[in-house]
Amino acid sequence: MAPKDDSSVSRRDFLRSTGVGGLAVGLVGQADVRAEQGVREVGPGAVPIRLTINGRRHELSVEPRVTLLDAVRHRLEITGVKRVCDRGSCGACTMIVDGRTVYACSILAIEADGREIRTVESLGTEAALHPVEEAFCAHDALMCGFCTPGFVMATTALLEREPNPSPDAVRRALDGNICRCGTYKKVVEAALATKGVRRG
Amino acid sequence: MASWPASPNLIGQPTRRVDGPLKASGRAKYTYDIVRPGMIYGRVVRSPHPHARVVSIDLAEARRAPGVRAAIAIVDLSNPEPATHKVLFQGQEVAAVAADTEEQAADAARMIRVQYETLPHLATVEQAMRPEAPLVFPDGNVREANVVEEGTVDAALAGAAHVVEGTYSTQVVTHTALETHGLICEWSGEHLTAYSSTQAVHAVRDGLARSLGIPQASIRVVTDYMGGGFGAKLGSDTTDVVCARLAKEAGRPVKLMLDRKEEHLASGNRPSAHARVKAGLDAGGKITAWDCETWGTGGAGAGAGFPLPYNIYAIPNRRRRHKDVYINAGAQRAMRAPGHPQGCFITETVIDELADRARIDPLELRLRNLPAEGPDTMWITYFPMGAEKIGWSRRHPFGDPAAGPIKRGLGCAANRWAGAGSRRTQGQCEIFPDGGVVMRIGTQDIGTGTRTLVKIVMAETFGLTLDQVTAEIGDSRYPFAPGSGGSVTVGSVTPTVRVTCEKALAALAEKVAPALGVLPADVTASGGRVHAISDPSKGMSWRDACKQLGTASITVDGAWEQGLSSVGTSGVQFADVEVDVETGVTRIRRIACVQDCGLIMDRLTAESQCYGGITMGIGFALFEDRRLDRVTGQMVNPNMEFYRLPGPSDMPEIDLTLVDQPERGVVGLGEPPTISTAAAIANAVSNAIGARIRHLPITPANVLAALEQQRAGGTL
Repeated sequence: MAPKDDSSVSRRDFLRSTGVGGLAVGLVGQADVRAEQGVREVGPGAVPIRLTINGRRHELSVEPRVTLLDAVRHRLEITGVKRVCDRGSCGACTMIVDGRTVYACSILAIEADGREIRTVESLGTEAALHPVEEAFCAHDALMCGFCTPGFVMATTALLEREPNPSPDAVRRALDGNICRCGTYKKVVEAALATKGVRRG
Repeated sequence: MASWPASPNLIGQPTRRVDGPLKASGRAKYTYDIVRPGMIYGRVVRSPHPHARVVSIDLAEARRAPGVRAAIAIVDLSNPEPATHKVLFQGQEVAAVAADTEEQAADAARMIRVQYETLPHLATVEQAMRPEAPLVFPDGNVREANVVEEGTVDAALAGAAHVVEGTYSTQVVTHTALETHGLICEWSGEHLTAYSSTQAVHAVRDGLARSLGIPQASIRVVTDYMGGGFGAKLGSDTTDVVCARLAKEAGRPVKLMLDRKEEHLASGNRPSAHARVKAGLDAGGKITAWDCETWGTGGAGAGAGFPLPYNIYAIPNRRRRHKDVYINAGAQRAMRAPGHPQGCFITETVIDELADRARIDPLELRLRNLPAEGPDTMWITYFPMGAEKIGWSRRHPFGDPAAGPIKRGLGCAANRWAGAGSRRTQGQCEIFPDGGVVMRIGTQDIGTGTRTLVKIVMAETFGLTLDQVTAEIGDSRYPFAPGSGGSVTVGSVTPTVRVTCEKALAALAEKVAPALGVLPADVTASGGRVHAISDPSKGMSWRDACKQLGTASITVDGAWEQGLSSVGTSGVQFADVEVDVETGVTRIRRIACVQDCGLIMDRLTAESQCYGGITMGIGFALFEDRRLDRVTGQMVNPNMEFYRLPGPSDMPEIDLTLVDQPERGVVGLGEPPTISTAAAIANAVSNAIGARIRHLPITPANVLAALEQQRAGGTL
């Protein structure tokens, strides 16, 4: 990492550059101690990983600091989910990993190695929409649309877990997602009206 | 003269957004998603200091870094004018790099050595207004406007039965569009294509042409999908030019998207507003006098204008002294109804204070002071409608007498907006011999549904279905349409599409009339057929009609015409809130909104505009606040968790009444619904807790402070 001239290194950049071991790398500093603690050391150069995305296996080589989101968007050009806050507070990058929603901006690509990852592209196509996508269109639960794939993923994960949620359960499940155009009212309507999502 | 159909098929119906499926399935390609062959990534180095002189910029190490293909200084130290070497806010652009990957660009940006000589800075309006403040801006830290006076304010105040006096303020908020500012620049020889996240493809083209010194004809700006703007993306930015320069130097397409922190710091905000107001009411409940001193900051060298008193109530005697205060922060830009939410909040709060002082129902006081009704000033009708919806009859006087910590209250406020269509708007329609129809118009869809509206008007005019017509927008090569700001888009675009399509249909009629054996003026199109008006049985399918064109398509240019749109809209909003006076937490139970909107094009997207405006108003009322540290001048919350935005659980029930006024033609609706939300909420909170809310945002701390001030004697 370059020496810093000013305060431009963010918390996440720091975490990224210290890699998967996080603070332990910087604080312990002795390889044998790390080995005892079961810390696997990778990087700082690119490392090979396998990402299983929407049922397809991709082999790629990324630096440890690259997030799952950036790997998927920049290396694989799967661009449905977005980077908006880049620190786990807006949900625009929501993916489903091993059945659970994650903020893809806040896990590293190397941490997703070997796990089952789903993005919005796994759901429907423009011609044959997924029931959640269909409900979003019918209820106009999208405006500029930039947050929409994240909301669609969060809604899908909820409905796969709980097909008939209460309005409060919908709001709670979607509270990790932010929409600036203000579609929440219709998003909740769409989620409640969605029919036919299979239990995941 | 052009007109809308008397009994339309599509116009006014709830029509699904035509690009909904692409957006919902993640397949719509926003600027941020576009990948061009050979594309690399740009990164800007920004000043960490709120005020400094740039002493040197050393690009050498960055140029040698892995993957780097271009590095430029943005602050030009060879410029003989020393003022240009200064940076005036944290986040101001200093230098930039482009490298093969984003990570490499970020690394290389850190290797650009910039030496700064820090200078004294101003982080707050209070600091800037002190007499001993350092002179940070060459022409002064404060720009004072002339006193504006109407009538005889002092005499009116002296004769008033009730006078209230108070100080009010609203905070700086940022647009926080989810897609940050950014673009991809791609040169082909001397021709530049810019894929830009913008609200104004033509303005970006013109700005780039000026800054780069190349012909407008050599630049194409494309915006297929964009992730929100709210006023911050109406022109070309410093970074647009930087991206073009990087792409030129690298010989590759460069993508330059701001990150969230940059977006908060350097891409616009709504200025703060402060006012000291003294207002008088006569014994008959007429507001007779309004005297105010106002100030606010739009950042470094930018104004902080807002209307005050907000121009709804008839107040005969008014005086205002206004000061723009400059601080070392990013400059303001137009933000959804510029000036209006601030002016509305202050004015409507003062009106509630006057009503409470005189022990008049605030709704009654408003009705006594509203101007006569006109098509765009309908408040006398709308206030009672909203009052009915919110249950105003059960409103208690100032302070909920109920036992326990949860207090409930009601409040209301009015709004108005102009939103005229632009007479400069042009369009082009082409009818192809195979039956295809394309409308080309250089507008852009910023999330409001413009693409859908273009297709609705086309399909309506040609008697076709939405999937039989094509809307081509978001490209500066198409005929001029204004930037999507000021709620002008629907009033500019839909009349132009209507006029142009009617001309195209008339041209088709010329070709088809002989085959039908009627005069061209007797030919129309409906239900997928082209037929005689006098005898609908004389006709043929749209496809067969277009075959009459032979090999040459019809291409028709059209321009905006008067008569299809109107200026001006009015509305009211009511809020029902509950406030925990022990924790200070406000929960909004319901919002009732009555909004007129002229002729509705698409009921679904019109409703969405209102819900969206109200949601943004809730953020302004309760949560959002750009905070600068008063010592360091650094923004302390340049993110999306400490810059708090409303989320799904913050939403109240919203009761929306859209008042159709089809006889007025179309009227813009993007801005009005966001104007009065915060004012209505603030009045409701004051009514609940029995202490006046005079400052936004209504955080728990501000609620508790208002209660404390009230206990200490208050001013009411």
